Amino acid sequence: MPHKCTKCGREYKDGSTEILKGCASCGGKKFLYVKEKELNKDVLEEKSIDEIIKESPEEILELSVPKSKQEVQMYDRVETIRIVAPGTYELNIEKMAESDERIVGVGKEGSYIVDLMSMAKDQPKKKKGKRK
Amino acid sequence: MKIFYQTYGTAKKKFSHFLNRFFKKKRTRIGIYGPPNAGKTTLANRIARDWTGDAVGPVSEIPHETRRARKKEDIIISGANGSTITMDIVDTPGVTTKIDYHEFLEYGMEKDEAIIRAREATEGVAEAMHWLREDIDGVIYMLDSTLDPFMQVNIMMIGIIESRKLPVIIVANKIDLPDAIPARIRSAFPQHPVVAISGLDGRNVESLYETMLEFFG
Repeated sequence: MPHKCTKCGREYKDGSTEILKGCASCGGKKFLYVKEKELNKDVLEEKSIDEIIKESPEEILELSVPKSKQEVQMYDRVETIRIVAPGTYELNIEKMAESDERIVGVGKEGSYIVDLMSMAKDQPKKKKGKRK
Repeated sequence: MKIFYQTYGTAKKKFSHFLNRFFKKKRTRIGIYGPPNAGKTTLANRIARDWTGDAVGPVSEIPHETRRARKKEDIIISGANGSTITMDIVDTPGVTTKIDYHEFLEYGMEKDEAIIRAREATEGVAEAMHWLREDIDGVIYMLDSTLDPFMQVNIMMIGIIESRKLPVIIVANKIDLPDAIPARIRSAFPQHPVVAISGLDGRNVESLYETMLEFFG
Protein backbone atom coordinates (compact mmCIF):
# COMPACT_ATOMS: atom_id res chain seq x y z
CA MET A 1 0.00 0.00 0.00
CA PRO A 2 1.60 3.28 -1.06
CA HIS A 3 1.94 6.50 0.91
CA LYS A 4 0.72 9.87 -0.21
CA CYS A 5 2.02 13.21 0.97
CA THR A 6 -0.91 15.10 2.49
CA LYS A 7 0.57 18.44 1.48
CA CYS A 8 1.33 18.08 -2.22
CA GLY A 9 -0.09 14.66 -3.08
CA ARG A 10 3.16 13.05 -4.21
CA GLU A 11 3.08 9.27 -3.95
CA TYR A 12 5.69 6.99 -2.53
CA LYS A 13 5.99 3.23 -2.76
CA ASP A 14 5.14 1.12 0.24
CA GLY A 15 8.10 0.79 2.57
CA SER A 16 9.87 3.68 0.89
CA THR A 17 12.68 5.00 3.04
CA GLU A 18 12.56 8.31 1.19
CA ILE A 19 9.63 9.56 3.24
CA LEU A 20 11.66 9.27 6.43
CA LYS A 21 13.38 12.49 5.40
CA GLY A 22 10.07 14.19 4.60
CA CYS A 23 8.47 14.65 1.19
CA ALA A 24 11.09 15.20 -1.52
CA SER A 25 8.86 17.72 -3.30
CA CYS A 26 7.44 19.88 -0.57
CA GLY A 27 9.19 18.76 2.63
CA GLY A 28 5.85 17.71 4.12
CA LYS A 29 6.02 15.41 7.08
CA LYS A 30 2.51 13.93 7.06
CA PHE A 31 1.68 10.96 4.90
CA LEU A 32 -1.46 8.94 4.31
CA TYR A 33 -1.76 5.25 3.48
CA VAL A 34 -3.69 4.90 0.24
CA LYS A 35 -4.96 1.68 -1.36
CA GLU A 36 -3.32 0.79 -4.65
CA LYS A 37 -6.54 1.05 -6.61
CA GLU A 38 -7.45 4.34 -5.02
CA LEU A 39 -4.03 5.83 -5.72
CA ASN A 40 -5.21 8.11 -8.50
CA LYS A 41 -8.55 8.91 -6.95
CA ASP A 42 -7.62 12.53 -6.48
CA VAL A 43 -7.05 13.03 -10.19
CA LEU A 44 -9.79 10.76 -11.54
CA GLU A 45 -12.53 11.96 -9.23
CA GLU A 46 -11.16 15.50 -8.90
CA LYS A 47 -10.96 15.27 -5.15
CA SER A 48 -8.67 17.35 -3.04
CA ILE A 49 -6.22 15.66 -0.72
CA ASP A 50 -8.18 16.96 2.25
CA GLU A 51 -11.29 15.17 1.02
CA ILE A 52 -9.37 11.94 0.56
CA ILE A 53 -8.00 12.25 4.07
CA LYS A 54 -11.54 12.64 5.43
CA GLU A 55 -12.78 9.61 3.50
CA SER A 56 -9.84 7.40 4.28
CA PRO A 57 -10.18 5.12 7.29
CA GLU A 58 -6.38 5.21 7.71
CA GLU A 59 -4.60 7.40 10.18
CA ILE A 60 -2.12 9.98 9.04
CA LEU A 61 1.48 8.99 9.53
CA GLU A 62 3.49 11.86 10.93
CA LEU A 63 7.27 11.95 10.95
CA SER A 64 9.05 13.12 14.05
CA VAL A 65 12.13 15.26 13.48
CA PRO A 66 15.24 13.34 14.51
CA LYS A 67 16.77 14.52 17.77
CA SER A 68 20.29 14.92 16.42
CA LYS A 69 19.02 17.51 13.94
CA GLN A 70 17.50 19.60 16.71
CA GLU A 71 20.74 19.60 18.69
CA VAL A 72 22.68 21.26 15.86
CA GLN A 73 20.56 24.38 16.15
CA MET A 74 22.92 26.33 18.41
CA TYR A 75 21.41 29.66 17.39
CA ASP A 76 18.14 29.00 19.14
CA ARG A 77 19.85 28.07 22.34
CA VAL A 78 19.67 30.22 25.39
CA GLU A 79 22.99 29.20 26.94
CA THR A 80 26.44 30.50 26.08
CA ILE A 81 28.28 27.44 27.39
CA ARG A 82 26.95 23.93 27.80
CA ILE A 83 28.79 21.58 30.08
CA VAL A 84 28.13 18.21 28.45
CA ALA A 85 30.34 16.42 30.97
CA PRO A 86 33.28 17.55 33.10
CA GLY A 87 35.93 18.63 30.60
CA THR A 88 33.56 18.57 27.62
CA TYR A 89 32.00 21.83 26.57
CA GLU A 90 29.87 23.19 23.75
CA LEU A 91 30.33 26.89 23.14
CA ASN A 92 27.82 29.20 21.55
CA ILE A 93 30.20 31.76 20.08
CA GLU A 94 27.40 33.81 18.55
CA LYS A 95 25.92 34.37 22.01
CA MET A 96 29.41 35.15 23.33
CA ALA A 97 29.89 37.77 20.61
CA GLU A 98 26.71 39.54 21.67
CA SER A 99 27.48 40.13 25.33
CA ASP A 100 29.36 39.01 28.39
CA GLU A 101 26.25 37.53 29.91
CA ARG A 102 26.75 33.92 30.77
CA ILE A 103 24.08 31.29 30.92
CA VAL A 104 25.59 27.87 31.45
CA GLY A 105 23.69 24.74 30.46
CA VAL A 106 24.43 21.63 32.46
CA GLY A 107 24.08 18.09 31.09
CA LYS A 108 21.01 17.46 28.98
CA GLU A 109 18.63 20.13 27.73
CA GLY A 110 16.61 21.95 30.35
CA SER A 111 19.11 22.54 33.14
CA TYR A 112 20.84 25.91 33.44
CA ILE A 113 23.03 28.01 35.67
CA VAL A 114 22.55 31.74 35.26
CA ASP A 115 25.49 33.94 36.17
CA LEU A 116 23.80 37.04 37.57
CA MET A 117 27.10 38.81 38.15
CA SER A 118 27.92 38.74 34.44
CA MET A 119 24.59 40.38 33.70
CA ALA A 120 24.89 43.09 36.35
CA LYS A 121 28.20 44.43 35.06
CA ASP A 122 28.30 48.02 33.92
CA GLN A 123 29.62 47.55 30.40
CA PRO A 124 30.29 51.14 29.19
CA LYS A 125 32.31 52.09 32.30
CA LYS A 126 34.38 48.96 31.98
CA LYS A 127 35.26 49.90 28.44
CA LYS A 128 36.61 53.27 29.50
CA GLY A 129 38.74 51.67 32.17
CA LYS A 130 40.21 49.18 29.75
CA ARG A 131 41.42 51.84 27.36
CA LYS A 132 43.92 53.28 29.84
CA MET B 1 36.89 83.41 40.71
CA LYS B 2 36.25 80.07 42.35
CA ILE B 3 33.62 79.28 39.77
CA PHE B 4 36.06 80.23 37.03
CA TYR B 5 38.67 77.78 38.33
CA GLN B 6 36.06 75.09 38.67
CA THR B 7 34.88 75.55 35.08
CA TYR B 8 38.48 75.81 33.92
CA GLY B 9 39.30 72.57 35.75
CA THR B 10 36.40 70.69 34.19
CA ALA B 11 37.19 72.05 30.76
CA LYS B 12 40.84 71.03 31.13
CA LYS B 13 39.82 67.56 32.23
CA LYS B 14 37.43 67.21 29.31
CA PHE B 15 40.03 68.46 26.88
CA SER B 16 42.73 66.10 28.09
CA HIS B 17 40.23 63.26 28.01
CA PHE B 18 39.43 64.19 24.43
CA LEU B 19 43.13 64.33 23.54
CA ASN B 20 43.70 61.01 25.24
CA ARG B 21 40.95 59.36 23.32
CA PHE B 22 42.13 60.93 20.12
CA PHE B 23 45.70 59.75 20.49
CA LYS B 24 44.83 56.37 21.95
CA LYS B 25 42.66 55.69 18.92
CA LYS B 26 45.66 56.16 16.68
CA ARG B 27 47.17 53.06 18.14
CA THR B 28 45.34 50.31 16.37
CA ARG B 29 44.58 47.19 18.31
CA ILE B 30 44.78 44.12 16.10
CA GLY B 31 43.37 40.79 17.26
CA ILE B 32 44.74 37.56 15.86
CA TYR B 33 41.79 35.18 15.71
CA GLY B 34 41.20 31.73 14.31
CA PRO B 35 40.50 28.11 15.20
CA PRO B 36 42.87 26.24 17.55
CA ASN B 37 46.22 25.19 16.08
CA ALA B 38 46.08 27.60 13.14
CA GLY B 39 49.37 29.20 14.20
CA LYS B 40 48.14 32.38 15.87
CA THR B 41 50.84 32.49 18.54
CA THR B 42 53.53 31.55 16.03
CA LEU B 43 52.53 34.57 13.94
CA ALA B 44 52.24 36.84 17.00
CA ASN B 45 55.73 35.76 18.04
CA ARG B 46 57.07 36.41 14.55
CA ILE B 47 55.54 39.90 14.39
CA ALA B 48 56.87 40.69 17.87
CA ARG B 49 60.32 39.30 17.07
CA ASP B 50 60.55 41.06 13.70
CA TRP B 51 59.62 44.48 15.07
CA THR B 52 60.50 44.49 18.76
CA GLY B 53 62.88 41.56 19.22
CA ASP B 54 60.54 40.07 21.80
CA ALA B 55 58.17 37.09 21.99
CA VAL B 56 54.51 36.80 22.94
CA GLY B 57 53.97 33.29 24.24
CA PRO B 58 54.77 29.59 24.01
CA VAL B 59 53.53 27.44 21.12
CA SER B 60 52.64 23.75 21.07
CA GLU B 61 51.16 21.15 18.75
CA ILE B 62 48.48 20.37 21.33
CA PRO B 63 45.42 22.52 20.60
CA HIS B 64 44.48 25.31 23.02
CA GLU B 65 48.02 26.11 24.12
CA THR B 66 47.00 29.77 24.38
CA ARG B 67 44.19 29.94 26.89
CA ARG B 68 44.46 33.58 27.88
CA ALA B 69 44.62 36.49 25.45
CA ARG B 70 48.13 37.95 25.35
CA LYS B 71 48.89 41.47 24.31
CA LYS B 72 52.03 42.98 22.87
CA GLU B 73 51.84 46.76 22.85
CA ASP B 74 53.38 49.46 20.70
CA ILE B 75 54.60 47.41 17.78
CA ILE B 76 55.67 49.78 15.03
CA ILE B 77 55.50 48.27 11.56
CA SER B 78 56.98 50.15 8.64
CA GLY B 79 56.46 49.46 4.98
CA ALA B 80 58.60 49.69 1.87
CA ASN B 81 57.22 53.14 1.03
CA GLY B 82 58.09 54.50 4.49
CA SER B 83 54.61 54.47 5.96
CA THR B 84 54.34 53.25 9.54
CA ILE B 85 51.63 52.02 11.85
CA THR B 86 51.71 51.61 15.62
CA MET B 87 49.67 48.72 16.85
CA ASP B 88 48.94 46.46 19.77
CA ILE B 89 48.83 42.83 18.82
CA VAL B 90 46.41 40.65 20.77
CA ASP B 91 47.05 36.94 20.47
CA THR B 92 43.77 35.22 21.36
CA PRO B 93 42.86 31.67 22.34
CA GLY B 94 41.55 29.51 19.49
CA VAL B 95 37.84 29.92 18.96
CA THR B 96 35.86 26.73 18.56
CA THR B 97 32.34 25.51 19.29
CA LYS B 98 33.30 22.29 21.02
CA ILE B 99 36.02 21.52 23.53
CA ASP B 100 36.48 17.94 24.70
CA TYR B 101 39.28 16.91 27.04
CA HIS B 102 39.48 13.49 25.32
CA GLU B 103 41.20 15.30 22.43
CA PHE B 104 44.12 16.19 24.71
CA LEU B 105 44.49 12.64 26.00
CA GLU B 106 45.67 11.62 22.53
CA TYR B 107 48.74 13.80 23.08
CA GLY B 108 49.62 11.78 26.15
CA MET B 109 48.19 14.21 28.67
CA GLU B 110 46.88 12.99 32.03
CA LYS B 111 43.11 13.05 32.48
CA ASP B 112 43.10 15.62 35.29
CA GLU B 113 45.42 17.92 33.39
CA ALA B 114 43.32 17.54 30.22
CA ILE B 115 40.10 18.43 32.05
CA ILE B 116 41.71 21.57 33.48
CA ARG B 117 43.01 22.47 30.00
CA ALA B 118 39.50 22.08 28.56
CA ARG B 119 38.06 24.33 31.25
CA GLU B 120 40.71 26.98 30.72
CA ALA B 121 40.24 26.77 26.95
CA THR B 122 36.50 27.38 27.41
CA GLU B 123 37.25 30.47 29.49
CA GLY B 124 39.74 31.46 26.80
CA VAL B 125 37.12 31.41 24.05
CA ALA B 126 34.88 33.60 26.19
CA GLU B 127 37.78 36.00 26.72
CA ALA B 128 38.60 36.10 23.01
CA MET B 129 34.99 36.96 22.22
CA HIS B 130 35.00 39.63 24.92
CA TRP B 131 38.04 41.30 23.32
CA LEU B 132 36.43 41.15 19.90
CA ARG B 133 33.43 43.01 21.22
CA GLU B 134 35.15 45.59 23.37
CA ASP B 135 38.62 46.38 22.31
CA ILE B 136 39.63 45.34 18.80
CA ASP B 137 40.03 47.67 15.81
CA GLY B 138 41.07 45.10 13.21
CA VAL B 139 41.32 41.35 12.85
CA ILE B 140 43.87 38.97 11.40
CA TYR B 141 41.96 35.73 10.88
CA MET B 142 44.34 32.77 10.78
CA LEU B 143 43.55 29.57 8.94
CA ASP B 144 45.52 26.39 8.43
CA SER B 145 45.81 26.01 4.63
CA THR B 146 46.06 22.25 4.91
CA LEU B 147 42.50 22.10 6.30
CA ASP B 148 39.06 22.74 4.84
CA PRO B 149 38.24 26.42 5.44
CA PHE B 150 34.48 25.81 5.25
CA MET B 151 34.15 24.90 8.90
CA GLN B 152 31.09 26.23 10.64
CA VAL B 153 33.15 28.13 13.19
CA ASN B 154 35.08 30.03 10.48
CA ILE B 155 31.97 31.06 8.59
CA MET B 156 30.39 32.12 11.89
CA MET B 157 33.43 34.10 13.07
CA ILE B 158 33.92 35.91 9.75
CA GLY B 159 30.19 36.75 9.89
CA ILE B 160 30.55 38.14 13.41
CA ILE B 161 33.64 40.18 12.43
CA GLU B 162 31.83 41.53 9.35
CA SER B 163 28.76 42.46 11.40
CA ARG B 164 31.03 44.49 13.70
CA LYS B 165 32.40 46.22 10.59
CA LEU B 166 35.99 45.45 11.57
CA PRO B 167 38.65 45.35 8.85
CA VAL B 168 39.87 41.78 8.41
CA ILE B 169 42.87 40.16 6.73
CA ILE B 170 42.67 36.41 6.27
CA VAL B 171 45.97 34.61 6.63
CA ALA B 172 46.39 31.24 4.93
CA ASN B 173 49.08 29.82 7.19
CA LYS B 174 51.36 26.77 7.03
CA ILE B 175 52.25 27.08 3.32
CA ASP B 176 55.53 25.34 4.18
CA LEU B 177 53.57 22.07 4.43
CA PRO B 178 53.27 20.00 1.22
CA ASP B 179 49.48 19.57 1.37
CA ALA B 180 48.73 23.27 1.89
CA ILE B 181 46.11 24.66 -0.50
CA PRO B 182 45.91 28.43 0.14
CA ALA B 183 43.79 28.85 -3.03
CA ARG B 184 40.96 27.01 -1.28
CA ILE B 185 40.91 29.72 1.41
CA ARG B 186 41.00 32.43 -1.27
CA SER B 187 37.94 31.01 -2.97
CA ALA B 188 36.16 30.57 0.37
CA PHE B 189 36.48 34.23 1.35
CA PRO B 190 36.68 36.25 -1.87
CA GLN B 191 35.34 39.37 -0.10
CA HIS B 192 38.48 39.75 2.05
CA PRO B 193 42.21 40.06 1.38
CA VAL B 194 43.93 36.69 1.78
CA VAL B 195 47.68 36.44 2.38
CA ALA B 196 49.39 33.05 2.21
CA ILE B 197 52.32 32.77 4.63
CA SER B 198 54.34 30.40 6.74
CA GLY B 199 54.47 31.70 10.28
CA LEU B 200 57.01 29.00 11.03
CA ASP B 201 59.71 29.79 8.45
CA GLY B 202 58.61 33.36 7.75
CA ARG B 203 57.79 32.84 4.08
CA ASN B 204 55.83 35.78 2.62
CA VAL B 205 55.31 37.58 5.96
CA GLU B 206 56.62 40.75 4.29
CA SER B 207 53.56 40.84 2.08
CA LEU B 208 51.39 40.37 5.18
CA TYR B 209 53.03 43.46 6.75
CA GLU B 210 52.33 45.45 3.59
CA THR B 211 48.70 44.30 3.61
CA MET B 212 48.43 45.23 7.30
CA LEU B 213 49.72 48.74 6.54
CA GLU B 214 47.18 49.04 3.77
CA PHE B 215 44.16 47.77 5.66
CA PHE B 216 44.81 48.76 9.28
CA GLY B 217 46.78 51.97 8.72
